Order: sequence, then structure tokens, then C-alpha cells
Amino acid sequence: MKDIKILTNYWGKINPLKIEDYLGVGGYSALKKFIEKMNQQKALGEIKSSSLCGRGGAGFPTGQKWEVVAKNSIKEKYFICNFDESEPGTYKDRMIVENNPHLLLEGIIIAALTIGAKKAYVYINGNYETQKDILENAILEAQKNKFLGEKILGSKYFLEIEIFSGAGAYICGEETALINSIEGNRGEPKIRPPYPTEKGLFGKPTVINNAETVANIPFIIQNGGKKYAAIGSKNSPGTKIFILGGAVKNKGVIEAPTGITIREAIETLGRGLPRGKDFWFAQVGGASGRLATEKELDEKLDYGKNNNIPLGSGTILVVDKSINIYDLLLSWTGFFRRESCGKCIPCREGTFRLNEIIERLADGEISQRDKEAMQDILWTLESTTFCPLGKFAAVATRDAVDKLEILKD
Amino acid sequence: MQIKINNKKYTVKNGETILDVCRRKNIPVATLCSFEGLSRGGACRLCLVETNKTEKLVTSCTTKVCEGLEVFIESEKVQKARRINLELLWADHAGKCVTCKKNRMCELQKLAEEYRIENFHFVPRRGEMTSKEELNLVHDNWSRVVVENDNPCVSRNSEFCVECRRCISICPEKKFGFNNRAGDVIVGTPYEKVLDCSFCGECVRACPTAALTDQNNLEKIASDLSDLKKLSVAVFDFGILDKIKEQIKNITPEQNLEKLFFALGFERIINLKDEDKNREDEIIKNVKTTDAKREKIDPRNIRTFFISSKISKKAQKSEFLDYVLTDREVARLVRDAGKIVTGKIKNNTRL
Repeated sequence: MKDIKILTNYWGKINPLKIEDYLGVGGYSALKKFIEKMNQQKALGEIKSSSLCGRGGAGFPTGQKWEVVAKNSIKEKYFICNFDESEPGTYKDRMIVENNPHLLLEGIIIAALTIGAKKAYVYINGNYETQKDILENAILEAQKNKFLGEKILGSKYFLEIEIFSGAGAYICGEETALINSIEGNRGEPKIRPPYPTEKGLFGKPTVINNAETVANIPFIIQNGGKKYAAIGSKNSPGTKIFILGGAVKNKGVIEAPTGITIREAIETLGRGLPRGKDFWFAQVGGASGRLATEKELDEKLDYGKNNNIPLGSGTILVVDKSINIYDLLLSWTGFFRRESCGKCIPCREGTFRLNEIIERLADGEISQRDKEAMQDILWTLESTTFCPLGKFAAVATRDAVDKLEILKD
Repeated sequence: MQIKINNKKYTVKNGETILDVCRRKNIPVATLCSFEGLSRGGACRLCLVETNKTEKLVTSCTTKVCEGLEVFIESEKVQKARRINLELLWADHAGKCVTCKKNRMCELQKLAEEYRIENFHFVPRRGEMTSKEELNLVHDNWSRVVVENDNPCVSRNSEFCVECRRCISICPEKKFGFNNRAGDVIVGTPYEKVLDCSFCGECVRACPTAALTDQNNLEKIASDLSDLKKLSVAVFDFGILDKIKEQIKNITPEQNLEKLFFALGFERIINLKDEDKNREDEIIKNVKTTDAKREKIDPRNIRTFFISSKISKKAQKSEFLDYVLTDREVARLVRDAGKIVTGKIKNNTRL
């Protein structure tokens, strides 16, 4: 396996509170290159040729998103870095900021300048207080060094970054709900279209990128899109931070090229299961992730459109046979029962009912009627909800029903 | 341009939504959240339809028509979605119709009847619960109910709320919003404070269920009306008759409407005319003062009713004005009084 590190290479080696450390390892040279040798069009071209795609879970091509906003003639535009990260078991963005906040900041600055935004927001999960402090410090230091504010590095560019702290709701990771939240409204999704790229924050064209996506930008600008496109899988190149948890020897965040298989991730990155543990299944992508059984372990981890097991946020939870499946089911359905925003009927009532039925299932009191109702709820969550949260809420339970046969007597 | 709905061709205008077309052509589509001209959010998911453009079900209230569009309103998938979602909503609500203020006037009840939500797949939140855990569940569910009768005009009971958002969108003062989230969601005022506004009554008009109703004490009103020792005088606001006719659809000629009021127990009716505008308070006051003096009736034995669609009047009750009834409340009095047979109401017959 190629040992390429783009995001994590200086982790632990530099002090996140000191900009000098980051400058010492070549930090902000991508921004310098952008300002001195490139223009917005060229930077956009590099991002497009890199085929970078969103790391939040959906895998939408970043260049395509930027292009729509960059081409818009409206002057007021916004860039938002989505640092809401609230998928259970996912903490990659948090680690990026804890270890190398300036990498993220550099990415944000380049991204915002490329699309022509004069103001960028970092939408931070309300629970991330330490990380907020680190970022605030980083922004101050960047301002002192003329990487932010007026006349960035003596150029015509101007950028202001504001950290916006959410209240920790899962749904606010969804683009339109996030916009609602910054605008001061209730954090619930809006109807699409119009997409945020056309009418986003305050009705202006807005690009919203996941923090991990943004952290890839400096490398692409520095080394060129083609070099980035050569790393990892063809359809979604680059590296990805995987978060390994559960029954593996080596837990934690590990960066690896996309396109490795689940088996490789568990056996190579995670160094396999601890002795005495028997593999049952792996959940890929957090609480909303699908379950991969032994048969599916050779599925690739990338953002291919037809993947059986979507990569999602990159979390891999390895579950062994000693685990009580009902605990997991209660955890999944309980999470969505709490985090549904309550806007539409199928999600509000469906997640509530699903959790209720799972509680009965765990107590061994499930009736035939419950089983039928559960199939109905899963179907309605998958097919009729307002936003993707409903679909997410059904994924793991659906797989548990189909693959693990939890309803079989 | 032309589109097809259920395999029949219809001519439509550019920019119309599927729901607009269906309403114009009287094709029934189930919906809760879209009301009159309110902005449409696609929140209730009851108006989902299938089209030839995408695999996914789309909400007819937000999907605009386009060339070559074919819509299927009663496909198997649509029926399934509607059944499950209505069942889910009904399960949060079921079992209270008989005692409900809005019984037989409720849009949810109508939908449940129309689409036959009878074969119940979900365990009702209140009925059929015996085990201790289930009772705890009931307790949890009850705790999310907010009942507020402290303001003079609008009676709020979130137990009946279906979270359709109509009151939120229609309120000109933006008094309502969502509190909490997920299954605990409550449509209410900020910090659940007592509703304090100009009481235009739009929210009560828009509410499809009994979550927002007119504040009153109908039982007392009914007993006052049937008390033969008391003279009940109804003062009709200008234009209210048409609104009452809308509510009670099988009454048409005005004559019958007056008879209906006599049948309900009113002894005297005063119709405000166009020129009486802004003089309503004076006219109401006269009933208990000059009129009573002339006819030598003790004002204490007179009950004055102002029949008006302005619910803000409820806040202005005084010694001269005992009750304010809206068109909706009159309809409820009629409903509670029993079956109405058009044209067969005899003068001064009690129902």
C-alpha cells in the first residue's frame, strides 16, 4: 500500500497553536503560489482536474460545485466550511483542527478566494469547544501574518473568516439546514432546488465544503490537480481519513488512499481483530452507514456511484460476534429518534416508532404487527422523507433486517 | 402546455405546480400542510405523487409542471406512501375524535376517512397499553403536550397538533414556531409563553385539527341558551351570515339561517348593516340598557351574543357583552345540537 499522507503528515510534529511551526514545514506556500502565480480560473482548473470530491459523505465533485458559484456574476458570495461533524463515531475533522488547524485555514482561504467570496464561515459543531479555541487562535495568527483580512499578502484579495458555532444538531450538517442555522432560523432543511450554489446563505451563491475536503486544497494547489488525481481510486482520487473503531487492534484515525478494500482497511490499517474476537460485520460510514458482512469485505472504499457499501464519512466500526446487536440497534435508532428535526411526518413519526419497535424487539416482546409496521416504516423512511436524514435513519436497521435477519424467529 | 394526470390530458399554465392543476381540475390530492396561498414547504409528505420524470416520489405541492409530464396520483407506490404516513400521523393522534371540539370538522379525520386508515399497523400511543414500560412511554408522550387557555381568544392544545405549519406560515406576527425536535416537537410560542398578539384569528382559521380553536365555554353557552328565563340576543356582524353558510353547507336561504338560530335557542336577532359599521359596541350596549328599559326586562336576565369572525372581540367582553361566537363556534353549536334537516326547521322549535 502506498504510504501517501496529505492531511496527516505533520500531525504530532507541529504545535497547532503556533503558526511558525506550520510555516516551518512549508505552510501557506500554496496560498503564496495561488496569489503570486495563479488566478482564480487556474486554481479552479486544478481543483477540477484533481477530481476531488466531497468528503462529508455524498462525494459530490468539488470542482463542479465551485465552478457554478465562481461563474455567477453576483458579487456577494459565501464560502462555508462544514465543520459540524456529528456522525456518531466520526472525528476526523476534529483531529485535523486539533493537529494542524492552519492546513484547514489555508484551504478555506484558497477556496474562498477562488470562488470570489469575501466572507467565509466555519460552521463548527457546538460541542467542539477546544477546537473552536484552536481555530480562533489560528485565525488571529493568520491575520497577523497577512494571510487573512485586507490585501492578503499584498494582493487585491480580501477575506474575513467567521467561526459560527452551531448547537450540536446532526441535521445542521445538511447544507440547507446549516444555512438556516447561520441565518438565525431553526436548523431544518430547506426545499431544493434552489441549490445553495445558486441561492445559499442570505440568498447568495454559496459553496459548502466538508472540512476534510477543504484540507486537501493546499496540496492540490501546490502539487497540481494531476498529481492528486493519480493517488488512490480513479473515480474519487486522493487520500481519505479512515476512522477505525470497534474490534480492531489499531483504533483511531488513519490516512490512506481511497479505493482500498474494507478488508485491507481492517487488516492492514487496523492490524486485524484482537485475539479471540470473531468478525461479524463492519459498519462503514457511521450510524447511517451500511453493514458489510464477510461477503462484502472486498468492496472498495471510495465514492463510486454504484458502490454497494458507500464510504460515507469514512468511519469503519468493526463488530464481532460477542456484541449484542440489540444494543447497537437501540443506539442507531435512538440516535435518529433524537436527531430528526421533526419537519416531515415520515421522519418525525417514523424514527420515533422505529425506536419504539426496536425497544420491544430488544425486550423480546415483538409482535407480528410490529414486524409488518417495521417494514412499512423502513420503506417510508427510504422513499418519502423530506431530506436524506430519513434515508440514513433506515440504512443500518434495514441491513440488520436483511443481512443479519434480526426478525427471524 | 399539456400534461397527463392519471392518463387524462390537461392543459396547464407554465409555472403551475401539480397540486395547483389538481385543485383547479378538482382532482383530489391528500394534503395537510398546503393551505390557500401559503408558501409550500412539502413538509407533510401526504401529497406525494409518482411521475414519469424520476423514480422518486415527488411532492405535488412543490413540483412544477413541465412538458411531457405524466403524473400518477393513485399508483401503488403513492397509495402505500400515503397510507403509511397517514397511519403514522393518525397513530400519534388516534382515539380522541368523539370528545374532540373539531369532531366531524377536522381535516385529519376527513383524510383518515377518505383514505381508510382503519387497518392499524402501529400500536396506538394511548390505547392497548398494559406493560409498565409501555405506560412509561405514554407518560413520555403526554409530557410533550402543551395546553394553554390563558389568553382570551385562542385555545391551544398541542395534543391535537399535526405539525402542519399552517399557523406558523399564516401568522402575520410570527408568534408560532417549532420548539424541541424530532418526536418531541411542539408547535408553540417561544419559551411556551402565553400567546399575546392582536388575535387576528388567522391561525385558528387555518388549523386543520383542534390544536388551535376559539376560546370559549360552549357548555355554559349551551345551558344559557336553553335557559327559558334568560333572553338570548344575538347581534350579527356584517357579512358573518355568508361565513356561517360556508361552515354549515346544507343551509342555503337566509330565512332558514334565522330559523336555525331560533332553533338553537336565541330569542332575538339583530343584523348589523353596512351603516352600522363601527357602531357595534353601541348597539350591543343598547340591548342591556335602553332596549331593556323600554321593554322592562331585568338586564341580568339578558345574555348578549356577538356573532362575528373577529376573535379579537373575545378579549373585549364586558357587562354588556356576554359572549362572542365565531362562525366556527356557531357551526359547532349546530353540530352539537343534532342533525339539521334543511328547510324543516320550524320557528321557535328547539333542536
